[in-house]
Amino acid sequence: MVRTRGYTYQTLCVLLLLLPAAFALSLAIGRVALPFSELLHGLAAPKPNLAWLILAELRIPRTVLALVVGATLGLGGAALQGLLRNPLAEPGLLGVSGGAALGAVIAIYFGLATAFVLAIPLLGIAGALAAGALTFLFGRSGTLTLILAGAAVSGLAGAGLSLALNFAPSPYAAYEITTWLLGSVAERDWAQIALCMPFILAGWLCLAFTPRGLDLLTLGEAQAESLGVNLSLLRAQVLAGVALSVGAATAMAGAIGFVGLVAPHLVRPFVGHQPSRILLPSALFGALLLLVTDIAIRVLPTSNELKLGVLTSLIGTPFFFWLVLHLRRLSP
Amino acid sequence: MRLARFLVWPAGLTLAGVLFLTPAGGTLRPSDAPAAGATSATAHGKPMRIMSLMLCNDLLLLMLVPPERIASITYLAHDAVAALMPGADRGVAVNYGTAEDVLLQRPDLILAGTYSAAMARKLAQRAGARVVEVPATNSFEDIRRVVRQVGAAVGEPERADILLAGMDAKLARLSAERAPHPLRVVAWSGGGSVPGRGTLTDAIISAAGGENIAAKLPDTRYGSFGLEELLAARPDAILQGETRWTGPSLRDSQTAHPLIERYWRGRVVGYPDAAYTCGLPQSADAALALRAVFRALPAEQAAW
Repeated sequence: MVRTRGYTYQTLCVLLLLLPAAFALSLAIGRVALPFSELLHGLAAPKPNLAWLILAELRIPRTVLALVVGATLGLGGAALQGLLRNPLAEPGLLGVSGGAALGAVIAIYFGLATAFVLAIPLLGIAGALAAGALTFLFGRSGTLTLILAGAAVSGLAGAGLSLALNFAPSPYAAYEITTWLLGSVAERDWAQIALCMPFILAGWLCLAFTPRGLDLLTLGEAQAESLGVNLSLLRAQVLAGVALSVGAATAMAGAIGFVGLVAPHLVRPFVGHQPSRILLPSALFGALLLLVTDIAIRVLPTSNELKLGVLTSLIGTPFFFWLVLHLRRLSP
Repeated sequence: MRLARFLVWPAGLTLAGVLFLTPAGGTLRPSDAPAAGATSATAHGKPMRIMSLMLCNDLLLLMLVPPERIASITYLAHDAVAALMPGADRGVAVNYGTAEDVLLQRPDLILAGTYSAAMARKLAQRAGARVVEVPATNSFEDIRRVVRQVGAAVGEPERADILLAGMDAKLARLSAERAPHPLRVVAWSGGGSVPGRGTLTDAIISAAGGENIAAKLPDTRYGSFGLEELLAARPDAILQGETRWTGPSLRDSQTAHPLIERYWRGRVVGYPDAAYTCGLPQSADAALALRAVFRALPAEQAAW
């Protein structure tokens, strides 16, 4: 293995400095223009007051959610790119995002969301787990099969979504489903975040046990196995981690693409190509990327707020094209 | 005659008197009109096979002419008819707005909307029909113009005038009894867009004696309105559009945001989408019903 360039600590330090700055900026910016002094005053003044309500019930949950979802996507993308040894891998590829979206849409479509508000996140997690399990079941014989199985499961989830749209109980439901799929972290409440957090944390924990296996896997599957890596266990760990965290995150924020693809690639020049060195910086960078994108949405003077997933796609697609061209140039 | 159950009231509130509204101008159902008018119409060259390609035209058509002169109304009309004039569409054929429908049903008059007009015109010659394009309505003045236009097109200008007279009488009553301090309200259904200045909803809210706070937004017509803006504007009541679509939808859960539950409990008021989407003589009834809801709102708003 070539010795990789390592600026890991410096990179982590820069990211850890930028994140609180972005956090503060995110609290200061919103559709209602409140000067920073008024926000600070609201914290000190008797509660509840307008500034405090806007901060505590709207802007802080929104910021936290953007960070958590971004970190989840960045981490998931890095883990999947490591496991599949494929630079184009991201959570969407295994059908996990699609499964989660389908689960959440079923919750809306069958009225479970009306009966029980938290049904959307719960079914999103179930959908992600089912999609992840299906991918694992059919793709266990190798890396290429895993990618193909992921593509098939994505297609299945897409077909399910189209079916739900086709038979939407009302034009409003169809419109809402379409809008929800665009992805957003706005106006979620603490209860929804609290329900999803345990699953997301469990997913992160699963992925925290994978770096050594992923490092050895860069040598090749047979070599990794000869060095004592249990490949089935590693795949199961990555899949479970991604399904839990990305499933819960997607159920809350809708389908947000490309963060999982972009984040690992943008940190690689700084921390090197060793999967174990990429996971944490990629998660932090994903969080920063999504939060900055969400701030940009609030600053852009559009009459209807742009959806988060739309902007990440607009930014991510040119990057994806560049990546495809770049890879073609590298490969013989 | 029971015309419409206009609003879903805040919990614990019943206003039976307003639920059963009779238009001041007389009956609404054209079938109640003298039969002689319809039979003699044939001789006077009134259209006898009228086809409507837009929901709002469907409702207007059902009020203006007897069912036997209607070739078809759109399949979308059923729920709105059930909300505004139950049973009026019994026995009336439906169309799906397709070219095939137009050719099969051979209408002699097509009432098209802005979007269906192009297709209708293309087929009109082959179907042998006249096409009347009915514009959308965004004010009571628009309603007067459109009702007169459709009334003239279907050969029932007098009925159109009667309907409008009933509407104007109600509007006059509303403006005579205007409350000194208008309630500040917004038609907000969670997420999405809110109707601002220059929309029918805005006109109905004003007629009912409310002040649509979304009318102050920099962009007119529909603009988005988030929870932050809702908190900052702090309206006295939130109007929530309700359809007769029975299916569940996301906005049910969105308007159940803890903040709304905490600070607008009993102040989220439903209104029928149909009466606010289509400019009809009944829009005045919707304003009357809204006035009654405004009066019944609890006086004190939860403090923060």
